[in-house]
Amino acid sequence: MNIEEQIKDILARITRVDKSIITRQSTFKEIKADSLDVVQALVAVEETFGIEIPDEEAQKFQNFGDFVTYVENKVAQGQKV
Amino acid sequence: MSLEGKLALVTGSGRGIGRAIALKFASQGADIVVNFFRHRESAEQTARDVEALGVKAEVIRANVGDAAKIDELFDMIGNKFGRLDILINNAASGVGRPIADIDVKAWEWTMDINVRACLLCAQKAAKLMEGRGGKIVSISSLGSRFVLPNYTVVGVSKAALEALTRYLAIELAPRGICVNAIAASAVETEALKFYFKEGLVKDSRQVTPAGRMVIPEDVANVVAFLCSEEAFMIRGQTVVIDGGTSVGVFALAGKQE
Repeated sequence: MNIEEQIKDILARITRVDKSIITRQSTFKEIKADSLDVVQALVAVEETFGIEIPDEEAQKFQNFGDFVTYVENKVAQGQKV
Repeated sequence: MSLEGKLALVTGSGRGIGRAIALKFASQGADIVVNFFRHRESAEQTARDVEALGVKAEVIRANVGDAAKIDELFDMIGNKFGRLDILINNAASGVGRPIADIDVKAWEWTMDINVRACLLCAQKAAKLMEGRGGKIVSISSLGSRFVLPNYTVVGVSKAALEALTRYLAIELAPRGICVNAIAASAVETEALKFYFKEGLVKDSRQVTPAGRMVIPEDVANVVAFLCSEEAFMIRGQTVVIDGGTSVGVFALAGKQE
């Protein structure tokens, strides 16, 4: 499973939305993710991929696509916590 | 008051109250373990500012809401330093919602960080304080005893934290460990700006007898005192830092004339 699908799974599990509604253009609000959901998703993604996503960076995410792109770049860099 | 040669762990010390406490301890000569979870840049800035005061700083990331991460945090401290003199349970989080909207996830998230973490950190810290004594201070808030809008989960967590403080104080006393807490009214921090924005807290300057809001340094000063030998006989207490707000009638009567 690619990174985008894994993050979709994590977000869908936390927000209990149907995974199929999540697209790269989806905002967190559209995914029904409140601030706690977002933090929990960030933590789950960090642990899944062995990366660190500081809040300073996460606050720049406008939509799901930004989140995925950030994680893909971090994983490609082989960044470890 | 000197803390020369002491090692202090301040959880959540990248910003706000935790940062002020870290800098206060550093100014008194203590080496600092700067713990953070979500804001690495801030934590690294705190560490640089601590080191500028001529003491050592160690930055360790750990989500204290996760018991396994607390184990890792203390393993790192144990391996690197082999001891701990001061633990400040400062890291906190919370979900501001009306009671009808509080779900299990919000409850557990808040309780795990604001209360369970303090128990687990105290257990671990006590081991590293074995044979040398130590100080533990936890950061509560006035929401533990007064009702604030949408503050239920955090308020309850802080009430539990104050009860935990009393139990820890008695049980750890024979091991030479002093345990106390502080409870402040609204403190001027980044976190407070969020609460202002959400309408959860209003500007309290006009109802504070001392004439201004509490600032992080006010809290750091009291915490430093509680960690000094001068405070040896204070045990299990929650010291209120609110400029007199909670003992006056001003909060009820509105603006002080």
